[in-house]
Amino acid sequence: MAIDPLASSLRLAGAGLQTQSARLRVVAENIANAQSTGTSAGADPYARKTITFESIFNRASGDNLVGIKAIGVDKTPFRVEHMPGNPAADDKGDVKMPNVDLLFEMADMREANRSYEANLQVVKQSRDMINQTIELMRT
Amino acid sequence: MESLALFSLASQQAGWLSTRQATIASNVANANTPGYRAQDVQPFSSVMSHLQLTMASTSSGHIAPDTAASARVNVRPSDSWDVLHSGNSVNLEQEMMKGGEVNRAHALNLNVVRSFHQMLMSAVKS
Repeated sequence: MAIDPLASSLRLAGAGLQTQSARLRVVAENIANAQSTGTSAGADPYARKTITFESIFNRASGDNLVGIKAIGVDKTPFRVEHMPGNPAADDKGDVKMPNVDLLFEMADMREANRSYEANLQVVKQSRDMINQTIELMRT
Repeated sequence: MESLALFSLASQQAGWLSTRQATIASNVANANTPGYRAQDVQPFSSVMSHLQLTMASTSSGHIAPDTAASARVNVRPSDSWDVLHSGNSVNLEQEMMKGGEVNRAHALNLNVVRSFHQMLMSAVKS
């Protein structure tokens, strides 16, 4: 057996942790910019970012690691609010607001959190299995 | 020596369990990957009863395929607890349950090995 499956499961869970935390970062960015309008009159505001994952086959160990495929931009049209005093208002007094929906971001955050915990659980279990095997040598 | 056969059986099962743990880790890592199909390994009993042909090596540089490690198979959609619209058939609760199962079986396996080792040692020492 060339590659220890327990070591490869730790590596897999590590890749999962990394991608889920990148997803959390994107969610944080969206929430932070939920009210970021453009700076000049009629300019486009912050556009919501999206993240997609892909499965990467590792030839050396023969397992499916996970990685970030792309960080894209959400094409949903911007909300328009009537705020004539805003510096980003166009000549009709309308301001384009970001297309960030806090409810979606919260749901995404909870899901990323749950997946992150699941990956941590795998790390714990694999580590336990390795430790138990090492303990066997002490008896 | 029947006890020695037990040791080889135990090490074979430990190898199978760690392969299964790696498969579970791969499923959990890809829990949010669109189009990923959950995988599992063949049951240990079928690995044991299934006689595999070994490949002949004609040179010392050839690496024999690992016959003890069981091949990964895709989980049938009917066996998965749910399949998402994106085509992903990983269910985290199901994977956690499988992980617990593997962990328990591994602990049992190691304890059996330990008690057999103690039996052998007491026979040798007396």
